[in-house]
Amino acid sequence: MDRRFLIIGLDSAPSEIVIDRRAEFPVLARLIEGGLHGKMRSSDPPITIPAWMVMTTGKDPGRLGLYGFRHRTGYSYDKMWIATSQAFKERAIWDVVGDHGGRSCLVSIPPSYPPRRVPGELISCFITPDQEKEYTYPKELRAEIEAKFGPYRFDVVFRTEDRDEILKEIYAMTAKRFDVIGYLMDTRPWDFFMFVEIGVDRIQHAFWKYMDKEHHLYEPGNKYETAILDYYKYLDGRIGELLARVGEETVVLVISDHGAKRMKGAFCINEWLIREGDLVLKEEPRRGANIEKTPVDWPKTKVWGWGGYYARLFFNVEGREPQGIIKPEDYEKEREAMIERLMAIRGPNGEAWATRVIKPNEYFAEVRGDYPDLMVYFDDLYWRSAGTLGYGTLYLAENDTGPDDAVHAQEGMYILYDPRRKESRRLDIDITDVAPTVLAAMGLPVPADMRGKVLGSKAGGRS
Amino acid sequence: MDKEFTTISIPTALYKKVEDTIRGTEVSSVASYVAKVVGEALLKAEAEPEVLSKEDEEKVKDRLKALGYID
Repeated sequence: MDRRFLIIGLDSAPSEIVIDRRAEFPVLARLIEGGLHGKMRSSDPPITIPAWMVMTTGKDPGRLGLYGFRHRTGYSYDKMWIATSQAFKERAIWDVVGDHGGRSCLVSIPPSYPPRRVPGELISCFITPDQEKEYTYPKELRAEIEAKFGPYRFDVVFRTEDRDEILKEIYAMTAKRFDVIGYLMDTRPWDFFMFVEIGVDRIQHAFWKYMDKEHHLYEPGNKYETAILDYYKYLDGRIGELLARVGEETVVLVISDHGAKRMKGAFCINEWLIREGDLVLKEEPRRGANIEKTPVDWPKTKVWGWGGYYARLFFNVEGREPQGIIKPEDYEKEREAMIERLMAIRGPNGEAWATRVIKPNEYFAEVRGDYPDLMVYFDDLYWRSAGTLGYGTLYLAENDTGPDDAVHAQEGMYILYDPRRKESRRLDIDITDVAPTVLAAMGLPVPADMRGKVLGSKAGGRS
Repeated sequence: MDKEFTTISIPTALYKKVEDTIRGTEVSSVASYVAKVVGEALLKAEAEPEVLSKEDEEKVKDRLKALGYID
């Protein structure tokens, strides 16, 4: 192994903040002035799970068989499973590093609960159900960390509308994570170090409307106007402390899993399907009712949907679903017709939307696992999808499940800083370029089934 | 098959026990028997089938809802 490599993961960080506003972040600016940097096109879907795993395995979601946090269990109407670390079977950067006798330190990379065995150390992520669970590998690491720093903080939860409280919690979580990371850097031997700071995503979801003048809920002169940028400045300082620890020989990648942008609203996918006659309920739903808990008249239903940052549509196919009614020979025709109707959806004021629809089984070279029949990005993800029912409208000004001012953007950001090269260049990349680039920079062979490019190929080549 | 080998020590009594165990079987040596058994034990340890309990899954789902990932 030639070089050590550090990945600083900033969940959801957009290039419009990190790169375009670098004058406000001296540490990140120094890396940008000496490294490759630009936009990073995320996976489809551009969601935390599977994006971090796409990045670290170099495999797309179809190959991983993961299309979000939850999946249908087979073709059931109401059974679902949550993707944990055990859902990822493909080999990641740390496995290759381990094959060559190297050690990795992995902190809070989603999903890493239950903690997997790695050659090195691991602390799990925000999927950890609670503090009482085993959340480290090796197990003993947990007691060591808690003795020194108190209980680890995995996440903040938006149980409250009190923004001061949320802000306080985000800072407390991030401060502790950086303390723990610094400690691991000092006390453990490592060749590959990677951590993900989820606080970036949380602060953006909770405070975007206070910052973005184009947001429909923006209020000029509000007290949280600089909350997001202040947090990035804090991160910049903490990243600076870590870089001082790792020395000038380590290659550093600062990267997000996807970007972020203002949320325009939530589109009620199941309400729309009801109006279109594709979904039939047995009774009027109460406001905010969940589709899984609502009695659906399946023998009359053709299509239903799930919400989140993007919509997943499921077709009720004869011989496939328990009470399917779409004839298998009509499936493609129905799907094409649905795509046409989805693309024609307009905003609440009749404005045209840049909606994108994906057929997973055609889009991915290989499609595994429990994939939906269609994936839909309403208005290029500006409109999230509300799967809940009973609002009497198709358009919600706010998220159906809590405070949420931001949505995901397809493109995140990256800065690749190699102290031996110090070449500042703007270059947009794909998320699958990351794993091969890291391995090549470390002088390790790149597995042939990682399809991405090795960036700045002077650093190494493919095996 | 790995081509590099190294030497470790085991108690003589254990060695003899293994010798007795593999006598008349297809296993050619004590070394290959020990390597096989240790390899299997490691695989088993790696499998660690800890999955989310129903209760844990509900906890995680509620949080994912509150965070906006799922509806």
